Amino acid sequence: MTSPQTTTAPKTAVRAAPAKPVSPRRGGKWRYAGTVAVFLLPSAIPLMLYTIIPMLGSLWTSLHEWDLITDMHWVGLGNYAELLSDPQTLTAFGNTLYFIAGYLPLVYAGGLGLALLLNRAMRGRSLLRGIYFLPVITSWVVVALMWKWLLNPASGLVNWALGLVGISGPGWWTDPDWAMPSVILASAWKDLGFVMVILLAGLQAIPKEYQEAALVDGASAWQRFRRITLPLLSPSTFFVVVISLINGFQVFDQVRIMAGGNAQVVVTQIYDLTFRYGRAGMASALSWLLFAFVLIVTAVQIRAQRRWVTYG
Amino acid sequence: MSRKIMTTLVATALLATACSQGSATKAPTGEGGKTTLRYFTFSAAPDHVKDLDAITAAFEKANPTIDVVVETAPYDQYFTKLQTSIAGGTAPDTFELNYENFVTYAGGGSLLDLGTVAGDGDSSAYAAESLNSFKHDGKQYALPASFSTVVLFYNKDLFEKAGIEPPTADWTWADEQAAAEKLTDKKAKVYGDYQPVQFFEFYKTLKQTGGEFLAADGKKSAFNSPAGVKAATWLVSKVGKTMPTEAEIGGTADYDTNLFKSGKLAMWHNGIWQFAGLKDVPFEWDVVVEPGDSAKASAVFHNAVAASATTKNGKAAYAWAKFLSSSDVAANTRIASSWELPPVSDQQLLAGYLKDPKPANRQAVFDSLKSIALPPVIKRQQEMQDAVTKELTEAAAGRKSVDEALKSAAAKVDALLG
Amino acid sequence: MGRAKLGRVSRYLLVTLGAAVMLFPFAWAVITSLTPGDAVLAVPPDFTPDGAGLDAYRKLMETLPFWRILLNSVWIGVASTVLQLLTSAMAAYAFARLPFPGRGALFSVYLATLMMPLPVLVVPLFIEMRTLGLVDTYFALLAPTIASAFGVFLLRQAINQVPKEFDEAAVLDGAGHFRIFLYIVLPLIRPALATFAIFGFMASWNSYLWPLIIIKSPEFMTLPLGLATLHGQFTTEWDVVMAGSVISVVPILILYVFAQKHVIASVAQTGLK
Repeated sequence: MTSPQTTTAPKTAVRAAPAKPVSPRRGGKWRYAGTVAVFLLPSAIPLMLYTIIPMLGSLWTSLHEWDLITDMHWVGLGNYAELLSDPQTLTAFGNTLYFIAGYLPLVYAGGLGLALLLNRAMRGRSLLRGIYFLPVITSWVVVALMWKWLLNPASGLVNWALGLVGISGPGWWTDPDWAMPSVILASAWKDLGFVMVILLAGLQAIPKEYQEAALVDGASAWQRFRRITLPLLSPSTFFVVVISLINGFQVFDQVRIMAGGNAQVVVTQIYDLTFRYGRAGMASALSWLLFAFVLIVTAVQIRAQRRWVTYG
Repeated sequence: MSRKIMTTLVATALLATACSQGSATKAPTGEGGKTTLRYFTFSAAPDHVKDLDAITAAFEKANPTIDVVVETAPYDQYFTKLQTSIAGGTAPDTFELNYENFVTYAGGGSLLDLGTVAGDGDSSAYAAESLNSFKHDGKQYALPASFSTVVLFYNKDLFEKAGIEPPTADWTWADEQAAAEKLTDKKAKVYGDYQPVQFFEFYKTLKQTGGEFLAADGKKSAFNSPAGVKAATWLVSKVGKTMPTEAEIGGTADYDTNLFKSGKLAMWHNGIWQFAGLKDVPFEWDVVVEPGDSAKASAVFHNAVAASATTKNGKAAYAWAKFLSSSDVAANTRIASSWELPPVSDQQLLAGYLKDPKPANRQAVFDSLKSIALPPVIKRQQEMQDAVTKELTEAAAGRKSVDEALKSAAAKVDALLG
Repeated sequence: MGRAKLGRVSRYLLVTLGAAVMLFPFAWAVITSLTPGDAVLAVPPDFTPDGAGLDAYRKLMETLPFWRILLNSVWIGVASTVLQLLTSAMAAYAFARLPFPGRGALFSVYLATLMMPLPVLVVPLFIEMRTLGLVDTYFALLAPTIASAFGVFLLRQAINQVPKEFDEAAVLDGAGHFRIFLYIVLPLIRPALATFAIFGFMASWNSYLWPLIIIKSPEFMTLPLGLATLHGQFTTEWDVVMAGSVISVVPILILYVFAQKHVIASVAQTGLK
C-alpha cells in the first residue's frame, strides 16, 4: 500500500514549505466545482437517499397522528403543542442533559488520561490498549448485566466497598434518584476506550520535534502538556466533544437495559411512543425537537471552536 | 484510477435503487403454481422451532399447493417488526397475536375477517370461550392457537421440611401468607413466596378479591376501590417480607426461575410454560390452582393466529390458521412438548396432557380454567400496563403508599380512556 | 532517578489495575458461557463452576445456522467498512482542502444527519425501501452504512491536522487533487483511517434495529439478529447468549489489534513525525 511517493513526497514538501502558497482564488469561486462534486457525491448521494429522505419522511409523520397500523390523520402542529405542554417532555430532556453533564467530563478526562499513559513506550502496550478497548466492543446486554451486579444495592461489590469505609451505599439503578448516576457510571466506563482510541490517533499525529524542542528549552512536563499536547490535540478533542454530545443526546440502549422504567430519556420515550404506544407522529415530533436542540448545541460548538481549536 | 472507482460506486448506488423496483410486487405464487404463505411468530423461537417445523411439514403434506414460510422474532421486538411491516404494506400473510394486543389490531382494520374466507368452516373443534375471545364486532378476526394459565408452583421438599401441609385448591390468601411466613428463612436465603408486582398480577388479584379493573361501560377505571387497595396491598406486602425486594433481586436475569430451580423458593406464581424447564430439578415440586381471597380467579394467556387484511391468499391463510390452531397434529405436538395448550374442545386430546407424570397435579391446569380472569383490554393497552406496573413498583419500593399509587394509576388510566 | 522509577512503577500499577477492571465483565461473560445452564448468574458469581465445558458453544451452533450468519455479518461488515472509508475520506478531503461556496453549510448538513434518532428513521426508511423494492435484500442491509457523517468528521479533523504546506508544495510540483489525496493525505492520516475502520466495522457489526426490520428471510440474518432469537418470551438460556456475545466480540478484537499494529507501524515507517 505504501507507494514510493509516500516517503519521498513529504520530504520535498518540508523543504519546499516556505514557498509561496497557491492562491485559491484563481479561476473564481467555482474553480473546484467539478473536483468537489467527484469527491462529495459518493457520500452525498447515499446520505441523501438513506438518511435525509427518511428524515423528511419523519417530518411529514410529525404532522400526523399515526399508530403505524391504520391510516395517518393530519393534525398539523398538534403533536408539537401536546409535547410542549406535557411535563414528561421536560423530564426526558432534563434526564438527557443530566446524563451528558455527568458522562462527558468523566469519559473525556478518563480517556485523555488513558491515552497519555498508553502513548508512552511501555511493555505490553498493545495488549493493554486492546484490554481497554474491550468494553467498547462488548454488547450492552452483557455490560448492563455486569454493572447491575456490581451496583447491586444489597450484595454488589460497589456498595460492599463503600460499606468498608463506613458509607451506606445508595439503591443505584433500582432507585429513580440514583438510576441516572448508575447509567452514567457504566456508560463512561464502557466508552473510555472509544475516547482513548481517538485521542491516541490524535497524539500520534503530533510531531515529536515539537516536544523535543520544548524539552531542549527546559519546559516542565506540565508546561509541555499545557502548551503543546493540549493545543495540538484540540482537533481530536473537538471531535470527541461534538460526537459525544450528539451521541449523548441520543442515549438509549443503556438506559433501557439498565434503568428500565426508573429513568426516561428522550430517545427511550421516542422508542416507546413509536413502537409500543402506537404514536409514531408524536415520536417524530419529539425527534424534531431533539434535533433542533442538538443542532443549536453543535452550531454553538462550531462557532466556539475558532477560539480554542488549532489546526496544523 | 480513483475516478473510475468513484464513477462505479455512484453508478452502482443509482442502479441499485433505480433498477430494483418491482421485485416486491412479484406474484405470491412461486414455481409450479405453489402458493407461498408467510407466517410470523413470537412463540416458537428459540425452544419450539422444531415443533413448529413438524406442524408446518404436516400441513404442507396435507396441502401440497401451499408452501409455509416461517419468520420468527423475539417477543420483545416482535411488535416493532410487525407494525413496521404493516406500515410499509408488507405485512406477513398470517401472524401471531396475543389477546391483549388483538383489539388494537382488529379495531385498526389490519386483520382479515376470517368469516369471508372460511366457507362452511366448522368451528366445533374449538373451545367456545377461546374462540369468542378473538371476535371483534361480531366478526372472527383470529383463531385461538394456544393458551397457558398461571398456577401456584410449590417446592414439596421445603414444605415437608418445615412440617407444613402443602397447598390445596381450597387455600386462600391468608393460608398462603401464613405458610409463606413460616417458610421464609432469610439466613438460609430461602423465600416463602414470589409473585411479581405488576399489571397482570394486579388485575387478577383484584378479581380474586371481588373487584373490577374497569367500570362496566369500559370508559373509566374502577380499581381505585377498597378491593383495589386490598389487592395491591396483598402484592406489595410480600416484598421484603416473604419475597425478596427489587434491590435484593438486583437485576439478576431470570432471578425467580433460578431461585425456584435452586430449591430456595417455596411458592412461585408462574405460568405452565415453566413445566418443561423444571423437568430435571433435584427436588419434588407440584402445582395447585392459585389461592383466592373472596373468589377464585386464574390468569389465562391466549395466543391466536390472524391473517393480514392485505393478504392475497385469504383461503390458504385460513387453512393454515385453522390447521395450526385446531388440527390433531398441532394439538398433539403442543401437548407432547408442553408448548402451552391447544384451545380445542376435544377432551380426549387434552387427556394426553395429564399422562405426563410431572407435575403430578396437572389437573390443576384445567381446574384453573373454571374461573378465569381475562386481562382488561383497551385501545392504548401498553401505556395502561406500563402505568399500572410503574405505580405498583413505586408502592413496592416504599416510595409511595398503596393509596397514592392506586390514585395516580387510576388517574393515568382514566386519561388513556378519555 | 528514584523518582522516575517510582513514577514508572505507579504508572504500571495504575494501568494494570485499570485493565483488570476493564477485563472483568468480559471474563465474566466467558465464564458464564462455559458454565452449564442453571449454575449461571449466581450472585455472587461463581468463578470456579463445576462441569464447565463448551456445551453452550455447541448448542449455539445447533440452534442457529451459525456459519451462515457469521459469514453474512463478516461480509456486510467488510463491504460497509470499505465503502465508508472510501466515501468518507473523499468527502473529508473536499471539506478540508477544497474551498467552495457553502462548504460550511454543507458540512453542517452532513453533521445534521447524525442528530436524528434511529427509531424514528427506520419506519420512513422501511417505506422507502419497500417503494424501491429492496425489502429483504443484502443491499438494504448495506445501504444506510455506505456513507458515514461520523467518518467524514473524524477524517476531516485528521486532514486538518496535516500541515497544508505538504500538499501546497505538491500543487507547485504539478500534482492534481487526486494525486495529493491518494499519495500525500491518505498515507498521513493512516492512524485516523485505521481508527475509523474499527468504528465503521463495529457500527455495521452491532447494527440491530434496522436489520431486524428490513430482513425477513433467515438466509440474510446477521449476528445480532441471530443472538436475539436466543431470548425466549419467558426464559433465556444465558450460557448460550453469553457464548454468542463472546464470539461476536472476537472479530472486532482481531481487527482492533491488527489496526493498532498497523497504525504504529505506519507512523514508524514513514519516519515523518
